[in-house]
Amino acid sequence: MKLRIGGLAAMIVVAWLLPYGLGSYAIHVVNIALIYALLAIGMGLAMGISGQINLAQVAFFGVGAYVVAILTTHNGYGFWAASALALLATVATGLFVGVPALRMQSHYLGIVTLGLALGFLNWITNATITGGADGISGIPLPTLPGIDLSSEYLYYYVELVVCVLGLAFGLFVVRTALGRRLRAMRDDSLAASAMGAQIPLLRMTAFVLASLYGGMAGILYAGLIRYVAPETFSIANMFILLAMVIIGGRRSLVGCVVGAIGLTLIREWLSDFSTYAQLGYGVVVVLMVVFAPTGLAGVPGLVRDAVRRRSRTSGGPRAELRPFTPYEVSPPPDDQATGPLLDIRAVTKDFRGLRALDDVSLSVLPGEIRGIVGPNGSGKTTLFNVVSGFYRATSGQVRLSGRDTTATRPYTLSLLGVARTFQNLRLFSHLTVRENILVALDRTRTHTIWRYVLWPPGVLRQERRLRTQAQELLDRFGLADFADTPPGSLPYGIQRRIEIARAMAARPRLLLLDEPAAGLNGEEVGQLAHMVRSIRDSGTTVVLIEHNMGLVMSLCEQVTVLAGGRVIAEGTPPEVVASPAVIEAYLGDSEMAQDAREAAPPLTATTPHLPSPSPSNSEEAAR
Amino acid sequence: MTRNPAHPRLTLAITAALATALGACSAPGESGSESKSTSGPIKIAVVNAQSGQLSSLGDWEYKGAKLAVDEWNKKGGVNGRKIELKLFDDQGDPTTGTNIARKLDSQGYIAMIGTAESAVTIAMAPVLQQAEIPNITSGQSDKLVAQKSPFLFLNGPTSTTYDTTLAKYLIEDKQHKNIAMITNNGSFGKGEHDAFLKAAKDLGVTPSTDQIVTTDQKDFSSALTKIRAEKPEVIFIGSEEVEAGLIVKQARDLGITAPFAGAAPQGTPVFMDTAGKAAVEGTIVSSPYLSNDVSPAAKKFADAYQAAYKEEAEMHGAKAYDGANILLTALDTSKGATGKKLADAIRATRHDGLLGDFAYDETGVGITQTAIGVIRDGKLVAEQ
Repeated sequence: MKLRIGGLAAMIVVAWLLPYGLGSYAIHVVNIALIYALLAIGMGLAMGISGQINLAQVAFFGVGAYVVAILTTHNGYGFWAASALALLATVATGLFVGVPALRMQSHYLGIVTLGLALGFLNWITNATITGGADGISGIPLPTLPGIDLSSEYLYYYVELVVCVLGLAFGLFVVRTALGRRLRAMRDDSLAASAMGAQIPLLRMTAFVLASLYGGMAGILYAGLIRYVAPETFSIANMFILLAMVIIGGRRSLVGCVVGAIGLTLIREWLSDFSTYAQLGYGVVVVLMVVFAPTGLAGVPGLVRDAVRRRSRTSGGPRAELRPFTPYEVSPPPDDQATGPLLDIRAVTKDFRGLRALDDVSLSVLPGEIRGIVGPNGSGKTTLFNVVSGFYRATSGQVRLSGRDTTATRPYTLSLLGVARTFQNLRLFSHLTVRENILVALDRTRTHTIWRYVLWPPGVLRQERRLRTQAQELLDRFGLADFADTPPGSLPYGIQRRIEIARAMAARPRLLLLDEPAAGLNGEEVGQLAHMVRSIRDSGTTVVLIEHNMGLVMSLCEQVTVLAGGRVIAEGTPPEVVASPAVIEAYLGDSEMAQDAREAAPPLTATTPHLPSPSPSNSEEAAR
Repeated sequence: MTRNPAHPRLTLAITAALATALGACSAPGESGSESKSTSGPIKIAVVNAQSGQLSSLGDWEYKGAKLAVDEWNKKGGVNGRKIELKLFDDQGDPTTGTNIARKLDSQGYIAMIGTAESAVTIAMAPVLQQAEIPNITSGQSDKLVAQKSPFLFLNGPTSTTYDTTLAKYLIEDKQHKNIAMITNNGSFGKGEHDAFLKAAKDLGVTPSTDQIVTTDQKDFSSALTKIRAEKPEVIFIGSEEVEAGLIVKQARDLGITAPFAGAAPQGTPVFMDTAGKAAVEGTIVSSPYLSNDVSPAAKKFADAYQAAYKEEAEMHGAKAYDGANILLTALDTSKGATGKKLADAIRATRHDGLLGDFAYDETGVGITQTAIGVIRDGKLVAEQ
């Protein structure tokens, strides 16, 4: 830590003294590089951190620069007043460009934002107010008391301060709650919304952040060059910017800055061979994407991994999964006083011609462990998706503690106390295990991000509290050894446990587990049963979908059987297994049902599974 | 492990910082211009796009300027010193232009020739003015004059001059009343549009239709159909060589027989080749440089150009050749002065060039008239 502070201090001193060693040409190039660095930070926040492909960054840049130019030359505003308005205009543009992101993602979003950037370019080339192709010259010099900004050396310090503050704010966002939610959204927007993140608002936030940095860069550009023309905001420059972000490393803001400054300097150095240089950038970008997708910023990590892999044989304490520490038992709620926690009333869900759920009614009392079984394709996961808000029931009603939640969004349900796991693991793959937990621990509404602008200490205080809680939770689930590893590199059984820990981090009243035992070995199934019981004892109601009949028999007080989208049986495990309808649903295979009944009381590792007529992930296909 | 490895490094950094800070108490900046030496070769820069859409223009200009410099060097240079010409690529990008302007300053270039693109030249102008580097540009936008930089000179007439001459010829000499306009929205086209419209209105004629196309358009039938409906006597065209050629060709295909009238691009071989010989017959051109055989000086230039580059000379090369000659003459008369003295020397230079008699005023414009030519049998000839 002290090493880092020392390095940082040295960097600042070097940056502060840099102008003393540079000629007027070099300082101008550095000034341009800093402007590109700001642009790249904005681009990195939208593309790398939030996963929103944004090819309109150069338009944000242009709006910032042009608004300053127009207001100062046509309307007689002072430079700084015009800058404040320019920033507002850029953020408004950011909101406008962000709207398509609510409807589409990935390359579609790229094409739409590129189209908007082209539209902007066309407008500034044709409109009278922008001076058309001639641009606007004679932008007044920005003034600061006591500092002559016509000297590019002193202008450098203004840019440096803005850049360092911009980078610091960007890093602050990335490393605290908002940034974690943005990154969670990038990795898996569905799971993020199930953890309480309001996806549409976050997408807009990503574009607002990108436009904020673009606008600042535009203002600094207008103050430095004091002339704007359409060529500066061309699509060719957009792709240079894209190259900066990709080469530098889009997931790291520092990488974006390094890429921007590095490529600007290299471009200048190679300016006598610009035709070949442009080809060269293209080749480098392709090589980067293929061989180092995380860019230069990812190279140290790759090297570290390689070294670690080589030295693994040499030993050291091995990370291991530690035992689960049970929750404290809280007194069971009085069934008579409270109504059902989850009440599903005559829910039907149609997918065009296919009826996935047909008049399903189900009620779960507080403190219950409810099993939901049925052959594949019987609608179990669809039911979970309806309860957790991913699907809206075609007809019928879902009630949570008496409140109608049929049309409630997943993030609201999460804040109301519904947590779930997914049949196919949906962990945030580029976040560490700790960060996965932290995303779910954060119970604030997304709109509380205003604090980032108005009251950052509040954010820090919340951050410290969340981190303490995260450590407790990691210790409880025995995951402390893996806290700073990305989940993708861990064994399947551990990932399953992380999913449960993440769901529990949301402190739910109702926990939905979708096939939690799938892929676990016998010992792990035993640990799972222990864990689920403890979770129930702590006061959380559990509903689980499971094919492992042994687990269902031993764990659940009540079992609901679905087949073809209908409830065909409900009752205690022995009752259900004896039901003729259930036996018939499982292909009339009475022997199988017999096995299950025998396996019921003692839980063994070799519990027979109910037959699976089709591959087990087909149920989740329709999301 | 209690020893902190960061401390020595930090202390070192702070010490170094303090030492440097003490050594340089003043604000940072470059001290003097020791690089602008008074001996050795005279460094002159040509700045033009060598890549991108305007690269052919940049190429012609460099060849024209190089030809003039080579001729001077053959005669022994200026004031006994050789002239060193270096080409810089602005990529048609204003930001790159400002980088180059700073570079010229710090590398001791005393003057600059170019660029052909007004936007880049305008972006560079404040930097060059601050660095006191005279610049002879090939742009013709009136915005260049509006910069009011005493270091910015044009090597040809402005759009206003081209189009005022043209409008006078069409309206006063030919008595045309029904004039249509078609221009593009690029820097050149917009300048032509504004200048011609103003000149025509000043003479009491409002164009019957005013069509604007884009610079990368390939099909002009909708604009041309509207023009055809107006049955104009003549059509003013403000567009670069290739696009103008396409417009004229498509106009003839649509049955428009009225002649086109325009500025310099309409007198070039590229324009004639694109449109076809029959289509361009009768095109009226306002240009300071009608053809390579308009004068003995032009013939001599064209022959030298042909000998040096194995290709036919055209107007842009001629303009750059004139500009370079003016600069070198001024250097010669001022005995290798730089900065403000050189700018004053350029302003005082009277040069009988290929484009006409140059006499600069305080606006930086040295030529205020053009000649009217008409294309006959695929050749641009002067109109009597």
